[in-house]
Amino acid sequence: MIRLQEVSKVYDGGVVAVQKVNLDIRKGEFVFLVGPSGSGKSTLIRMCLREERVTRGTIWVAGKDITRLPTWRVPYLRRTVGTIFQDFKLLPNKTVAENVSFALKVTGCPRSIIRRQVNTVLELVGLSAKADRYPRQLSGGEQQRVTIARAFVNRPPILLADEPTGNLDPATSVGIMRLLDRINRTGTTVMMATHDFAIVDAMRRRVVQLDRGRVIRDESASGYEAPSKS
Amino acid sequence: MSTLLFLTGEAFVNLRRNALVATGAVLAVFVSLALAFGALVFNELVRINTLQWQRGDHIIVFLKDEGGPVAHDQLLQEINEYPEVENAWYLDKAGAYQEFSEMYSDQPALAATVTAADLPASIRVELKDISEYQAVQFRLVGHPLLRRLSVFSEGIERLLSLTGVLNSIGLGLVVVLGASAVVLIANTIRMAIYARREEIAIMKLVGAGNWFIRVPFIIEGATVGLLGAGLAAAAVFVSHGLLERIPTDILIRFQVDQSFLTSRTILILGFGVLAGFIGSSFGLRRFLRV
Ligand SMILES: Nc1ncnc2c1ncn2[C@@H]1O[C@H](COP(=O)(O)OP(=O)(O)OP(=O)(O)O)[C@@H](O)[C@H]1O
Ligand SMILES: [Mg+2]
Repeated sequence: MIRLQEVSKVYDGGVVAVQKVNLDIRKGEFVFLVGPSGSGKSTLIRMCLREERVTRGTIWVAGKDITRLPTWRVPYLRRTVGTIFQDFKLLPNKTVAENVSFALKVTGCPRSIIRRQVNTVLELVGLSAKADRYPRQLSGGEQQRVTIARAFVNRPPILLADEPTGNLDPATSVGIMRLLDRINRTGTTVMMATHDFAIVDAMRRRVVQLDRGRVIRDESASGYEAPSKS
Repeated sequence: MSTLLFLTGEAFVNLRRNALVATGAVLAVFVSLALAFGALVFNELVRINTLQWQRGDHIIVFLKDEGGPVAHDQLLQEINEYPEVENAWYLDKAGAYQEFSEMYSDQPALAATVTAADLPASIRVELKDISEYQAVQFRLVGHPLLRRLSVFSEGIERLLSLTGVLNSIGLGLVVVLGASAVVLIANTIRMAIYARREEIAIMKLVGAGNWFIRVPFIIEGATVGLLGAGLAAAAVFVSHGLLERIPTDILIRFQVDQSFLTSRTILILGFGVLAGFIGSSFGLRRFLRV
């Protein structure tokens, strides 16, 4: 589903954020991206969305080489990849329902289908009762559930999450992780960058650890820290 | 179709949110288009009024009595063949006396002192284009039958050059003001984009294509242009209505045709929308790299 080959990213000014990363994430996998601050997690996710271009290497997303994607195709890439961020990125002047339906509107989806899909997904995240509220009228956890609903409403094969629990308390985070887990069980591939070791340790999924832009660990069913070699 | 409806709705929501800037832009477009429209009307008034002055006898060729009507008729035919001449006709002594009596009908004492024999016969010349009077003058000077040549108005040339200048100034104004409407709208759209840059980034992130983001801005620009043009048209109609109250004078008319007003109103409204499209396209040009 996502494949990185010898991917490097050097920002203007010479900061090397990602160095020769090779990664192969198969359909339906749940992958944690861990590592200290500045190790290149966000950069890696942004490159998978074509928010940043790679400096070297190739990235395939859903079978397509996105490093050579013409600009006008980029919106289509983003419709196949749902995104969740620490700062939610909701449209402040739209209600919950409008925020979620926006992801379908951009595809030119007919209104009747949009309404049905939005209702279904708001039910999934438990926000049906708050469909007409504005983001500022919601708690952080609720806002994050809206972004999950938005990311998932058009059933993308891939979900990318950059510290989705970064602004939330542990109890709320658990709720968010349950949702992501449920979405993953429908066959959606999930890659999630996080600092939250409690979550990583609890979920026991594949863990890719970055350090200064390099992959230093890639283990399935693992925890936040490398298991001590005894 | 429903997408276009949605995007139109977005445009109007954004206009409402941005009401202050949008109102400013509408007013600015209004002022420039009202001035442009005013200049068009002014040009038309100048045209109408000089048209009136252009009617009638442009050159009067007073003739010597020698040769009598036969020689006079020969000259008349000659003049009628000049390329600059639209029409020329002969006014004999009797006709001249009649004209004279009509002109001075309020002064019978003066009319009584003059007889038909005192007045010269003349050839009246109507020109195709009054600016060519000098060519005719040149052809006639030195003709043995010529007693005196009178050009209808000695100020014609000055008047013509003045209206020429006024027309150019008016057209220049129209061009500059039209362009400024475009620039104003471009600026407004750019400010709107700047104000909404975070939202735009979010929209792109969830897969909105370029046109999906652009169209509301374009509709916004076109709406601003249309509203400004509508106000401008209304203002011109109102002031034309005021001008119409001024009583018509033989010398100057303050009214233009209703059909002229209507056609130019459509033109101005169309231009308002077009300025909106062009302006917002300019405003959108440098943005939207993914
Ligand atoms: N737009 C940018 N321009 C220049 N340098 C950047 C830019 N974005 C990130 N960097 C640099 O690239 C490196 C990797 O940053 P990145 O945001 O990918 O790290 P991260 O692992 O997500 O960190 P965190 O856990 O704090 O979110 C850092 O050294 C950062 O300073
Ligand atoms: Mg980060």
